[in-house]
Amino acid sequence: MRGVKQFILEVVKFIPFAGLVYLLLLLFWGDIMPEMFHINLNYRVGSYGHLFSRINEVKNTHDVDVLFLGSSHTYRGFDTRIFKKEGLKTFNLGSSAQTPSQSYIFLERYLKQLNPKVIIYDTYPFTFESDGIESTLDIISNSKIDRAIIKLAFEQNHIKVYNTLIYGLYSSLLNKNSSFVEPQTNVEDTYIPGGYVDREIEYFKNVEYDKKEWDLSARQLKYFEKVLQLIKENKIQLILVQAPVTKGLYTSYTNNEVFDQKMKSYGEYYNFNEILQLDDSLHFYDVDHLNQNGVEIFDKAVIDLLFKEKLISNSKQE
Amino acid sequence: MLFNSLDFALFLPIVFLLYWFATKGNLRLQNILLLVSSYFFYACWDWRFLFLLIFSTLLDYSTGIKIHEAQNRKKKLFWLWLSIGINLGFLGVFKYYNFFAESFAEGLALLGLKANLGSLQVILPVGISFYTFHGLSYVIDLYKDRIKPERNFIDYSVFVSFFPLLVAGPIERATHLLPQILKKREFDYTKAVDGLRQILWGLFKKIVIADNCAEYANAIFGNSDQYSGSTLLLGALFFTFQIYGDFSGYSDIALGSARLFGIDLLRNFAFPYFSRDIAEFWRRWHISLSSWFKDYLYIPLGGSSGGMWMKIRNTFIIFLVSGFWHGANWTFIIWGLLNALYIMPSIIFSTNRNNLEIVAKGKYLPTVKEFTSIAITFTLTVFAWIFFRANNVHHAFDMISGIFSKSFFTLPHFPEMKKAFVIIILVILFMMMEWFGREQQYALANIGQKWKRPVRWAFYSAILFAIGMFMQTQETPFIYFQF
Repeated sequence: MRGVKQFILEVVKFIPFAGLVYLLLLLFWGDIMPEMFHINLNYRVGSYGHLFSRINEVKNTHDVDVLFLGSSHTYRGFDTRIFKKEGLKTFNLGSSAQTPSQSYIFLERYLKQLNPKVIIYDTYPFTFESDGIESTLDIISNSKIDRAIIKLAFEQNHIKVYNTLIYGLYSSLLNKNSSFVEPQTNVEDTYIPGGYVDREIEYFKNVEYDKKEWDLSARQLKYFEKVLQLIKENKIQLILVQAPVTKGLYTSYTNNEVFDQKMKSYGEYYNFNEILQLDDSLHFYDVDHLNQNGVEIFDKAVIDLLFKEKLISNSKQE
Repeated sequence: MLFNSLDFALFLPIVFLLYWFATKGNLRLQNILLLVSSYFFYACWDWRFLFLLIFSTLLDYSTGIKIHEAQNRKKKLFWLWLSIGINLGFLGVFKYYNFFAESFAEGLALLGLKANLGSLQVILPVGISFYTFHGLSYVIDLYKDRIKPERNFIDYSVFVSFFPLLVAGPIERATHLLPQILKKREFDYTKAVDGLRQILWGLFKKIVIADNCAEYANAIFGNSDQYSGSTLLLGALFFTFQIYGDFSGYSDIALGSARLFGIDLLRNFAFPYFSRDIAEFWRRWHISLSSWFKDYLYIPLGGSSGGMWMKIRNTFIIFLVSGFWHGANWTFIIWGLLNALYIMPSIIFSTNRNNLEIVAKGKYLPTVKEFTSIAITFTLTVFAWIFFRANNVHHAFDMISGIFSKSFFTLPHFPEMKKAFVIIILVILFMMMEWFGREQQYALANIGQKWKRPVRWAFYSAILFAIGMFMQTQETPFIYFQF
């Protein structure tokens, strides 16, 4: 048995040694190697739809009428300028592929300070079936790393998240991003104060898709219920919406109705794929994002809904 | 439970600790523990098929005793064929029924006749081809009086079901594994450390090399009608390294895991892509299967004792059966046939045993002649893999005709080319490691053995880092689990 004990002891000694070497190599790799070699290290400050600018702005934003939450459909779908014209102060806290687990983190961080009267939450079904890795990487890279994000990283238990988290902590510790300024315009995208991202007008050429079904994750639904609970505890009016995607993509999913029923069971819900009649080419720049023509129609419909159903005035009266 | 999963990372140390501490070196307890762990390991896939595994074990165990006790050759033969028939019957139903039914119906349709034999929605029990062959080798060896029957059912069951080899081999022989199971095992520090090293190397091969190559091979094979000849060739190359990394990586993890329990399994791979001819390739690729076919099919068929024609006929038979063993699909049969054709010149001119030594032994680089032979053999292998990987025979021929088109002389291009470039660099570095370690049991076996411990540990840690940085994060099952 002595041999076994010695073997186990050596393994136990090797583990922290390997951990240390791994850590040093990771930091070296992140600093020195070109990005193409960062296969499982996605620390990209200033990418993923201007989250860096959005987070910088939200720190100084207080008391809004409407807060938008959700995926890129949110920050590319709710144009804060259009809402401003109607006298509404809004903030768009959407982020790339944001799933309910990240929405929950954002709400915990900023809800009290933003103090919205209404929250419009975009419920793109994809975000309910996604593992949320992409969004977590985005938040690690472009906002502060707090206990909640570390907890989420352990929950997700994904090597890409761990590597990026370690490198992100190291960057924060050395304040490596203090001088970083994100350009307002990044290729075709321009960041608009309030969190919206405006894309140069483009049109989409539709393609055909295989039929498939949404397969919602129990984990994301659990987080979604936590989001709802948090909003309810703060007595904020919540409106669930589904921003439009191209008909080609929308109709390729055969269980949209099931998803709608599920969302309706959570509260007031509007599926704009069913409400609006948009053209796949004229109103979209890609398969699931509206172009500015589409955004204007969509936002007008949302504003009409807010006023017609007295959702915003109701909340104002409250 | 996959070898490259967190579940296995917990399972293996738990079994290891129980094996060496809880059993206090008691052989009986150790074997019971190995059997229970192996059945648990198997049940993690589908507990229902555990009954099939136990039935198969029971069948060979009892027919083995009957063969031994039979008074005459005729009775021995009866029990042997009973075991072979039932074993192959199960394999036939689970693995080949749909293939035969569909092929028969298609054949009749060619004659203008219609047949509706129906297809069974059968799930292939994982590892059935492997444990069936384990059992067959046991009863055949008994019939040939090479071994005595094992009367302890637990010990025999461990031989069939030992978890490192249960689902994808190596295909063990009773003559090699059973004596190890029956003998008291002492912990061997060096062997255990070597086992861990082999597991590390196997993991690197599987989740860095194979799984990354799989992503691009799938992308190219899946859209082969859209790509240039050079891109299609690149796809075939990706698959070539995928299947090697996948299967030899699996075998390394299996061998390494077994060594932690003081058991040596048969070597399954010996750097096959450095072979100088196809005969050498088949002595180095999936060695446990090749030697199984040689011992239990080729030699009983007469081997090479009956002159040239018998040699040719038997070679074709074992390659066709080997192709068919891999799966019920014409692609595998053509793959086997192609390999038989490749090996034919060396059979006819009796040069198949020309390259028995390790290539360029003791040298850094091969000679020009050796390099050319390796390159030719490798190219032939890549083309055969196209059949192995293609969805059907038509797809394989489309791929090949696509490769031999004008677009072959353009630069390969597909949407993820830039990302794939990193993997190409990794594959090159990996093959360099394999080249420098080719005189060992596996590439990592001797590298750094003379270095000081911190340097050696740093080297292993760097491999762990490479796994963490480059591993494919989609959990991909081992290819050979489907066989």
